[in-house]
Amino acid sequence: MEEKFAVEVCEISRRYGDFTAVDGISFSVATGEIFGFLGPNGAGKTTLIRMLTTLLTPTGGDARVAGRGVVADPEAVRRQIGVVPQAMTSDLDLTAYENMDIYGRFYDIPSRERRQRIAELLETVGLTARAGDLVASFSGGMRRRLEIARVLIHRPRILFLDEPTTGLDPQSRRVIWDFLLRFREGEAMTIFLTTHYMEEAEEFCERVAIIDHGKIVVIGTPAELKGQIPGSDSIALRLDAITAPLLDAIRALAFVRTVNVEGDLLRAGVDNGAANLLAMLEAVKAQGGAVLATTIHEQSLEDVFIHHTGKALRDETKKVDFLIGAGAPRRLGR
Amino acid sequence: MRITAIIDRDLKKFRRNPLVIAMSVVMPILYLLILGHSFQGKLTRLPVAVVRADEGAASRRLMENLRAVAAGPRTVDLLPVVDAEAALAGVRNGTYKAALLIPADFSRRLNRRNRPEIGLFLDNTDAISAAGIEAVVNGALRAVGEEYVAVREKKDANYLREVNLFRQIDYFQSLVPGVIIMAVFLGSLTTGAFNLVMDRFLGVDESYMLTPVTKADIVGGLILSGLMITTCIALLIFSLSVLITGITFQHFGRQFLLLLAVIVLTTLGLLSLMFLILGRFSHPRIVGLLSGFLNVILFFPSGAIYPVASFPDWLRAFARVNPEAYAVHALKAILFKDAAGPTAIGGDLSFLTLFAGGMLLLAVLTFRRKI
Repeated sequence: MEEKFAVEVCEISRRYGDFTAVDGISFSVATGEIFGFLGPNGAGKTTLIRMLTTLLTPTGGDARVAGRGVVADPEAVRRQIGVVPQAMTSDLDLTAYENMDIYGRFYDIPSRERRQRIAELLETVGLTARAGDLVASFSGGMRRRLEIARVLIHRPRILFLDEPTTGLDPQSRRVIWDFLLRFREGEAMTIFLTTHYMEEAEEFCERVAIIDHGKIVVIGTPAELKGQIPGSDSIALRLDAITAPLLDAIRALAFVRTVNVEGDLLRAGVDNGAANLLAMLEAVKAQGGAVLATTIHEQSLEDVFIHHTGKALRDETKKVDFLIGAGAPRRLGR
Repeated sequence: MRITAIIDRDLKKFRRNPLVIAMSVVMPILYLLILGHSFQGKLTRLPVAVVRADEGAASRRLMENLRAVAAGPRTVDLLPVVDAEAALAGVRNGTYKAALLIPADFSRRLNRRNRPEIGLFLDNTDAISAAGIEAVVNGALRAVGEEYVAVREKKDANYLREVNLFRQIDYFQSLVPGVIIMAVFLGSLTTGAFNLVMDRFLGVDESYMLTPVTKADIVGGLILSGLMITTCIALLIFSLSVLITGITFQHFGRQFLLLLAVIVLTTLGLLSLMFLILGRFSHPRIVGLLSGFLNVILFFPSGAIYPVASFPDWLRAFARVNPEAYAVHALKAILFKDAAGPTAIGGDLSFLTLFAGGMLLLAVLTFRRKI
């Protein structure tokens, strides 16, 4: 029988002497959900995931994972979950196939089924050709792909990933997410991950919790969290000339909250910048103005994080720049 | 079976490391060769300067006796020196281990039974050589006076008849039990718990702890793979030692089975002991530190080189709980006293069984399945 919640956490804590790594956290993750835990290094993400995956015993509180208590019945929990720890854990002296095979044997999967499942998984992560090679010869991205494939060998109901893409280049990150999503479709799997990549959380997680100093600061869907903080998106326009009628026309737009001018740069605080950009450009055009460049700054989880914790998670904000104008190069970057 | 998965993994990893295999075999054999040649149990070719001022009959007989020793057992090399001062200087600077000075009146005094005297100047900083040379010269000197008297004609003397109960064993052969135990020790140290330490060091253990694998699977799997590898190495070392030293067997089948039993029980005991000691550590450096120490405290008081009976009391007490001492005792009985069956080694086998069982139980009980 499928439980409503894949993970239910009740007042869970972990103390190391005087230091409290996780401080009485409660939350739940619905079955089938992709749930992300966001937080800076040292926030308690890894300690939490280790408690949920039975590697660490909580010093207070409890959690149920796949319907079983992590303290009362750790062995039953282990059978239901797949965990990709933060550090690379595949055995360098074994081949990719052997790494998968030993895992399958730990779960008592019969040999014929094991062979078939390993072949399928290696195919999916694009390592079939390297199945017989020692992992020592693999790149970081290949190793990570193998490790994700390995924990899927027993078709876990819940997949835990502790910073699965940290240290990987953007292309490898993309590849990993592609097949995580593909696996999830086939297996109706719940995914619980920690990350400090905001874009990743925003793009793939259905719900996120922000954790800082061992406590959950806020929890909800990315849209909810962004909606909760005051202020809005902003649109910046570089214009050939800023005239009074043009400013009036802009101020008159219903979605515009604030307008600032710095030289030839007009900055407007707006609701839903991406959807309303075109209307704004048309208003400028109607007043005979010419737009040289446009920047939209969208509210991001980073802003949510800064709002709640008073500090930046990483020195990256989500920016979309385009240059508009005849012959000007078109640039899209982050 | 989860335990077979662990065994399989360790055997694969071991096979992929030919250097480790080679060293596991070569090191105990080198040990046999180096120890056998450098410390043969008998002294040879100790340089002794001889300054002979007397050409008389007694002096001649003494020299003949000494030359016999130099030519036969070769305990000493006799080096004629003319000048007494030069001979003494040679002892002082280490050229000679001793200088023998035969004064001009030696033969005359001997004939007249007037306290004949010769001088033996010894490098007493090398106690073993000094004692050896002294014994040789004393022997040669005693024989000077008794030369014409056959021992058996002395009707009033007490005689000692030496009877060897077993085949003659040379020093090299006597080292073989120690070399086999050395191989067992090295194997137990570099397999079993060492793989756990390495897994921890490389962070591989975390992924295993996340699976349904149990404490007993981990301890059992690592110890069994270590047992297989170490037993194979020890048997290989045994075969090579037999070829090198020429040990012969009267009842090979029975001797081999008993030898196998001793190797398996000792390996199992040492692997479990290592697990108990190393089971908590996560850095290979600690294994390096402990290996030298453990080897000294287990191997030297084992009786492999020096008889346990001659140890001081406290060391003898330690030897009573040292599994290597029982193993060496059993292996000596099996290899060199072919007729001695289970009665001679029953106690050894019982101790080794109890030790292995107790250590294995403790290793499983104290192992923490956490990271």
